[in-house]
Parts: sequence; C-alpha cells; structure tokens
Amino acid sequence: MVSQTFTITNSQGFHMRPAGAFTTAMGKYQSSVSVIKDGNKIDGKSIMNLIAACIKCGTEITVEIDGPDEEAAMKEAAEMIENGFGE
Amino acid sequence: MRIVDLLKEDCIELGIRLGSKSEAIDKLVELHDKAGNLLDAKVYKEGILAREEGGSTAIGEGIAIPHAKSEAVKVPALAAVTVPSGVDYGAMDGKPSDLIFMIAAPNDGDVHLEVLARLMQMLMDSDFKSKLLNSKSKKEFLKAIDDFEREKFPEEASNPNKENEGYKILAVTACPTGIAHTYMAAEALEKAGREMGIPLKAETNGSGGAKNVLSAKEIEDCHGIIVAADKNVDMARFDGKPVLITKVADGIHKPKELIERIEQGQIPVYHHKGGASPSANEGGEGVGRKIYKHLMNGVSHMLPFVVGGGIFIAIAFLIDTLAGHGSSGSADFGTITPAAAWFKTVGGLAFNLMVPILSGFIAMSIADRPGLLVGLLGGFMATNGATFSDIAGVSTTPSGFLGGLLAGFAGGYFMYGIERLCDKLPHSLEGIKPVLIYPLLGLGGIAVIMCAVNPIMGWINSGMNNTLETMSKNEALIVPLCALLAGMMAIDMGGPFNKAAYVFATGMLASQTNAAYTIMAAVMIGGMVPPIAIALSTTFFKKRWSEEERKNGPVNYIMGLSFITEGAIPYAAGHPLQVIPSCVVGSATAGALSALFGCKLMAPHGGVFVFATMAGTWYFYILALVSGAVLSMLILALLKRKVK
Repeated sequence: MVSQTFTITNSQGFHMRPAGAFTTAMGKYQSSVSVIKDGNKIDGKSIMNLIAACIKCGTEITVEIDGPDEEAAMKEAAEMIENGFGE
Repeated sequence: MRIVDLLKEDCIELGIRLGSKSEAIDKLVELHDKAGNLLDAKVYKEGILAREEGGSTAIGEGIAIPHAKSEAVKVPALAAVTVPSGVDYGAMDGKPSDLIFMIAAPNDGDVHLEVLARLMQMLMDSDFKSKLLNSKSKKEFLKAIDDFEREKFPEEASNPNKENEGYKILAVTACPTGIAHTYMAAEALEKAGREMGIPLKAETNGSGGAKNVLSAKEIEDCHGIIVAADKNVDMARFDGKPVLITKVADGIHKPKELIERIEQGQIPVYHHKGGASPSANEGGEGVGRKIYKHLMNGVSHMLPFVVGGGIFIAIAFLIDTLAGHGSSGSADFGTITPAAAWFKTVGGLAFNLMVPILSGFIAMSIADRPGLLVGLLGGFMATNGATFSDIAGVSTTPSGFLGGLLAGFAGGYFMYGIERLCDKLPHSLEGIKPVLIYPLLGLGGIAVIMCAVNPIMGWINSGMNNTLETMSKNEALIVPLCALLAGMMAIDMGGPFNKAAYVFATGMLASQTNAAYTIMAAVMIGGMVPPIAIALSTTFFKKRWSEEERKNGPVNYIMGLSFITEGAIPYAAGHPLQVIPSCVVGSATAGALSALFGCKLMAPHGGVFVFATMAGTWYFYILALVSGAVLSMLILALLKRKVK
C-alpha cells in the first residue's frame, strides 16, 4: 500500500470536473483508491463520494492506494492533484 | 446553505419529458430565469454549456447536476426536474438521467462547491433519491429534501442564523379583549419557532389594531399559517395556503405542537369562501362558543360609543348643574345652556350609533364583510323602530338593543345563507356578488325582518301602557307599580319595556301630583341601578369579567349616577342571561324602596345632578339606589361564572 499527502491547490477544490477526471483516471487501475480527509476515508473511485466530501482549496488530503498497480496509480493521482487538475 | 433555502417551488418541475440534453438545459435555465434568479439568462446558459463541453455533469446513477458560476447569477439558487423516462445527458456510466438539478452560483464564494457537495451527500442515499423521483407534488418533493436535510444535518436545524431568507411559518393571534392573550400567544409561538430553528412571524390582532402585519409576500412564501384566535381575523389573504385554525390558548400552551403539525404538512389547504367566517368551517368549535364570539365582536366594537357618549351626556348634566339649573326640574335639563346642549347632542349621536354598531359587527362576524350592511341597517332600524306602515319610525317604538341583537344574528345568518346559496351560482357571476347580489338581497331581507319585528315591540309597548294606566289609578298599588316600572327600565335599557316605563312616567309628570313625582323617582332609580351594579361587580367581583370589561367598569359609576342606563348595555348584550335578571331584580327593589321611602322627583332625567329637585328626600333615594345596586351585584355574582 502506498500513501501520500497533498494540499489541494486549484481554487475551486474537488468540484465535479476534477472529481470526474480523478475517478475516471483511478478507474483504470485495479488497486483500491481512498482519499482521506479529516480522518474520513472516501472511495476515490466514486465521483459522488468525492464531491460529497466537499474538499475545498487548501484542504489537506491523503491518498491511499492498495493493489498490484498501486505505484502507477499514485503517480497519476499525484500529477493530477499537484497540477491543480489543469485549472 | 440549506438546499431548501435555495430551491423554490417555482423552480421545480416534476414528471416532464425531455427529448435531449439541450432541451433539458433550456428547461432548467428557463426555470431559473422565470424565478428571477438570473441577471442575464443568455450569459448564464453560455456558462452552463461551456461547463458541459469540459465533460458532462451527469455523474451517473441517473443524476445530472449542470452548474455554472457566473456573474449573470443574481441570487444563488437551484432548479430541479424529474424526467421519469430519462434523458440522455451523456453520463459517464452511459445511463439516461432522470433527476436533474441545476445550480446557479454567483462568481464569488464557495456556494457552488458547498451546494454540490451537499446535494451529492444527500443523493447518495438511494432511499432519498427514490423519494424525490416518486414525489407527486412540488410540496412533497421539497418536504422530502427538507426532512432529509434536517435528519442529516441536525445541527443546522437548530441554528437559525442562516435563515434570514424568510419566515417558514406565520401566525396570527387574537383574543376578544386583545390585551394579554394575543401577545402571550405571539410570544410563545415565536419563541418555540426560535427553539426549533424554524423562523416564525406572528401578527397580533390586539385591541390597538393589527401589529407586525404579515405581508402578501411572506404569506406566499411560508409553509403554513397558524391562526390562534378567539375572534375572527382577516382570512381571505390566506386563501390557498395550509391554515391551522385553533384557540388562542393553544398558541400559548402548545406552540411547538402547532408548529410541528404545519411542518409535517398535515394541514389542509384553506380555501376562502368569500364570506364564511373561518370558525364556521371548523368542526371543533361548539355552537355556543361561536355565538359568544360573534356577540363579543359586536360588544367590543360598541363599547367606545357607549363610553364616549355616556361621558359627554354626563358632562352636559354637570354643566347645567353648575349653571344653576339643577333644581329647575325642567324637562330640558342637560340642554339648557348652549354648552350643555352641545355635549348632550354629541353624546346622543354616539348613542344613536351604539345599537347599529353592535348588530353590524355581530353580523360581520357571522357573514364577514357582506354582513356589515345587514347588521348596521338592521341595528339602525331597531333603533328607529321602522315598520312596514311607518318606515321612518315616526310614531313607533324602537326595539332597542334586544332588537339590535336580533338584527345582528338574524341578519348575519341570513347573509351567511345568501352567501352559501350564491356558491352555487356560475363562476362568471363571482364579480357581481359583492357589488350587487349581496347588498340588494341583504338590504331587502333585513328591512323585511326588522319591519316585521318592530310592530311586535309596538304591541308590547301599548299593552304595557294600558296596564300601567290602570294600575296608576289605584293609589294602593303605588309601591308595586313603582317596582314594576323600575324593573322595566332594566329589562332592555332602551327597548320597548324601558321606553314604556319612561314615557309613562314623564307623561305623568305633567299632572304635577305626588304620585307622579314618586313614579318618576322610581323610574329614574330603575335606570340608575344597572350601570352602578355593573360597576360594583367589576370592582368587587373582578374574576367574573374579562380584562376589557373590567377596564370599562368604572365609567359605569359615572353613567349610573347620571342615569345613563346605556352604560350597562355592553354587559347585558354580552351576558344577557346573567346581567338582565340581576339588574331587573335590583332595579325593581330600588324602585319599591324609593316609593316606600316617599322619594319624589320632579325632573325627568339627570341622575345625581337633579337630586336638588327631590325636596330633601334624596338621602333615602341614595339608600334605595345603593340597596338595589348591591343586590344586583350579589345576584350577578351568583349567576355569572368566573372567567378562566
């Protein structure tokens, strides 16, 4: 299992488009993906759960990925988040 | 930021068909635009389309949440549609969307993300989602959201800070007196509203008129209205809203229960029937209570006329006394000096309106606005004694306040009947009902009723006169005769009995005999006892009277001492079965005592102001007066129950 902590930098946070892009990207991997915010573990492959978590700009989240392709998945996730989902 | 605060009824459409995604967008933008949420619908729509180009907002599970942050948004808001057959919104999971929410968010702030997050948190609950899809009405749809929001975010329900968007529940409180209970109920309801996190505004219909009046917009926007009133309040404005009608006491003691009942949506929608009093539609209210409510509506409106007129007449007597006419024994006493005449005439004008006001407001309470005409006219005809053959009432007997009570109730229910009959008329005639049908039938009907009733009063009057004539011829009967006359003065306080006694006595005065003076003294005392008895009762038996009745009590000392029997009318009208018998007994006793003591009076009116004409017998007269009044007060205390 790999885990990494990020701070959300795009001004609008995890709104629908980033959440959609993130879950679509994570859906390609076999590994399970979780996003942890304030101690709550959120399914990182579910757009609804991600949006519902109301992750705003400046929030610290931890991404946990567990599975055979966890390294590749984490690499893509980190890229997306650090780039502010291209926003 | 609660969903229910953002989503208004006119921004919801349920069970519609949409052929395509662009049709869906058009529909939702239109809903926002019509509700006035947008500054520029075109710019906003461009924002929505731009967002869709970056990826569909259909997030799967049949849900789509198109949204745009835009400067074209005036107020943050939501619009919602359900599409049972679904529409292809380009969802990630490829399924059609059947539940679409569109968010309109202004450029600044996090509204958009918060709303989105909250909507999502709620929509993840499949029970909730199916409840929304199965909603048959917009109300049900909103209620499902509201309920679930409360359940999911309970901390907000008790935090009213964010709820400045308007009042959810409105209330009207009113009691017959309009001094204490009205305000207590309003306060209790508002407090309960605050505690429950439901903003509530209460209008008070107190004695000083309506305060904190509900606006048409507030009524339109609220979930429901609580009417906690023991008297009629303006109901027409609540047409089409759920209205919970109850007693003012419930507003004081069970405010939370009332609010809950509204919030649970179990209250039927109120439909105003152009005239029906709201109480008439409520099964829970007894007939007696209804009649009492109508009666008190008339009495409380009449009171100022009695008090104002009575004091003016007393001032007139005082002026003439000060001018040295107190011992003249003149029939013009009270109008001898021009100043006195002015006061007495003005007071008389107020008295002339007294009975019409009584019957007018009784009828209005029964039949709403159309009732006013029949009641006022009926009361006026009771006062002037109109009959079929003598419609101007020149030489007839007025039926007084008893006739006025009859006019109020008969006229009110007559009008109420007409209104119900007119409900069957075609809708196209709706407009001419209040301007033509009601006035025409009402006026005709009440005129016929009163012209039929008044002659009966005339017969009573002439029958009385004959009896009195016969009795007065026998000197041995002077004491019973005086008791009878004094008692008659108290029966109707201005009606046929009173008039018969008074006219008989003043007619006798012309003969200038001792018997005539004795009779005059007894008649005046009979008219002085009732107000004084009332005043004493409101002083010594406070608990038997309402606050309004108590407050008006002391004026009756002045009226009683001035021989203004009318002061007792509001009390007699309000509680005829208790007040009239006790006053009659007290007056008759006082009359008998006055005759036994040999009191003689040479002036036809004036009360204490003409005691100077009594040739030294006035102290016995006062003794008789006090005895009669105290007796009345005690009987009244026995007959009348305590007010709770």
